[in-house]
Amino acid sequence: MTTLDVAGVVKPRRRLADSFPGYRKLVGLPNADKVGVGVLLLLVLVALLAPVIAPYPPIKLAGLPFRPPLQGGHLMGTDEVGYDIFSRVLYGMRTTLVGVVVVVSSGVIIGGLVGLVAGAVGGWVDTLLMRTTDLFLALPGPLLAIAFVAALGPSYDHILLAVAVVWWPFYARIMRGEIRSWRVRPHLDAARLAGTGPVRRAVRHLLPGAMPAILVTASLDVGNLIVTLAGLSFLGLGEPAPAPELGAMSARGLQYLLQEWWVPVMPGIAIFLLALFANLAGDAVGKIAGDHR
Amino acid sequence: MIRFVTKRLSAMVIILVVLTAVVFLLQQASGINPVHAYLGANASQAAVAHETKVLGYDRPIFRQFLTYIGHAVQGNLGRSLRTRDAVATNIASYLPATAELALAGLGLALILGAALGLGSVGRWRGSGVLRIILLSGASVPGFLLALLGILLLNGKLHWLPATGDTGYNNAPTGPTGMMVVDTLLHGNLAMFWDAIVHLILPAICVSLGPAVSIGRVLRTSLESSMGSDFVRTARAKGLKEKTVLVRHALRNSLSAALSMTGLQVGLMFAGIVVIETIFAWPGIGLYVEQSIPSADFPAIAGVTLVLGVAYVVINAVVDVLQAVVDPRVAIA
Repeated sequence: MTTLDVAGVVKPRRRLADSFPGYRKLVGLPNADKVGVGVLLLLVLVALLAPVIAPYPPIKLAGLPFRPPLQGGHLMGTDEVGYDIFSRVLYGMRTTLVGVVVVVSSGVIIGGLVGLVAGAVGGWVDTLLMRTTDLFLALPGPLLAIAFVAALGPSYDHILLAVAVVWWPFYARIMRGEIRSWRVRPHLDAARLAGTGPVRRAVRHLLPGAMPAILVTASLDVGNLIVTLAGLSFLGLGEPAPAPELGAMSARGLQYLLQEWWVPVMPGIAIFLLALFANLAGDAVGKIAGDHR
Repeated sequence: MIRFVTKRLSAMVIILVVLTAVVFLLQQASGINPVHAYLGANASQAAVAHETKVLGYDRPIFRQFLTYIGHAVQGNLGRSLRTRDAVATNIASYLPATAELALAGLGLALILGAALGLGSVGRWRGSGVLRIILLSGASVPGFLLALLGILLLNGKLHWLPATGDTGYNNAPTGPTGMMVVDTLLHGNLAMFWDAIVHLILPAICVSLGPAVSIGRVLRTSLESSMGSDFVRTARAKGLKEKTVLVRHALRNSLSAALSMTGLQVGLMFAGIVVIETIFAWPGIGLYVEQSIPSADFPAIAGVTLVLGVAYVVINAVVDVLQAVVDPRVAIA
């Protein structure tokens, strides 16, 4: 594993894998976690490639209505109209993943910024920002999200907006706590003595330390968010029919449950699998980052 | 202690005002003219203008907000666009069924949560299964659970009914509005049993999410308690592992689980809306779900306000209870 250079000094050979931070830890994970990460990546890939993989367009008659799964080339059967459920589920997964990315990144950005400013500046700014955050945390988020979308009118964009509005305070709290704990470390004094300005100190010396905790929180949050978004879509707050949204598909198929169970159940199972493997992968990310919870 | 309670309660009042403000602003943003709603679609322009003045909707927005709070405190939540009734009247008739489901769900969540937390902490046969339940329970959407429950227990096995809160047409409607309680008060055991049977599946579906969250928090804090000095002492004096867990570790781990329970109530309220829709449970959630397609925002705002107030008050009470159980909380 080592090479001898001219001077005879033993030098470790640099491997490609070492340039990816966390790779070694990923390899060292228990198998269950590897499976979690692997299957999630596979699901994400399948969802992103929906237009390529899906045998039919999401909104196009694919056959007779109510064909059971595995019959006539329909992996998950067809729905009440005759659309191919498998194709629609793939597109629905894509919509779900886009939503998750939007809400989580807005949470990380807005909450992170609030927490960073509060923690780094301190004083009355800290008090003001954190009191506001606590106020938001004390309100029943999911309920307000329902009211929010109902006020603006049902649409998937409004669901994302509403959830993003109630989602950031968690991140603000965690970011602020991390920043406060990093602020008292000696390297901050060193930076100050070196004449580093406050903005650069916050961004270059405080933020990197807080990022692992934020990323772990975000990755553990994904499963939760998938279920929440699906619930709002189920209530009819998303796009009108026939848009392929997993929650709404399940809700519209509800009336056929006892005869054609696959119509409402298949989209629900897709949500469950996405959330399950997101949670498993989230745990793995927590372990890689050294459990910063 | 008294200082802590006053502080917590005044914070609660501020939160309630903010909650009302948010709902009020959403109502403004919804673009629904409350005067039109009040008079109906066929009202003449002159009548609308007159009524706008009488009802005070031409005043500055802050004055309107004060009026809104005043009305809300008196139980006036405006008029539903869909049912044409006062929202408060609608809510009053739907609320008891929701309260019944919420209480049953919360009770189940506490029992299940405690069982999951206590059961998964040790290393015994079956604890792995509980851990899997904890993990998948956190990932399953409430409506999938409901669908599968109906398929299995109603469709296949015919054990449980799938819709409503009673199978009787002549079931009692008073005095509390909660079917389980009313049938018992009327002394009709057959109807009481029927009500219980109707309640089981929706209550399980409502409780699972919170139960898993409570179980996880309990498990985490139990694990840290089990590694502490007082547990070592308890073991050293020869107590059985079960006694150590239940009598020593559990007591010191309840605090976190308790505050988690308070927080989970908010999620549970949102979950109830979905579950009531599926089971056609005659509660506030069904009312919301029916109001969404007709853009009946006053109704949704009213429900949000009522459930939101319940959530905020419950969490304040939980915090105070926590201080009573563990006085260290009040000092911090």
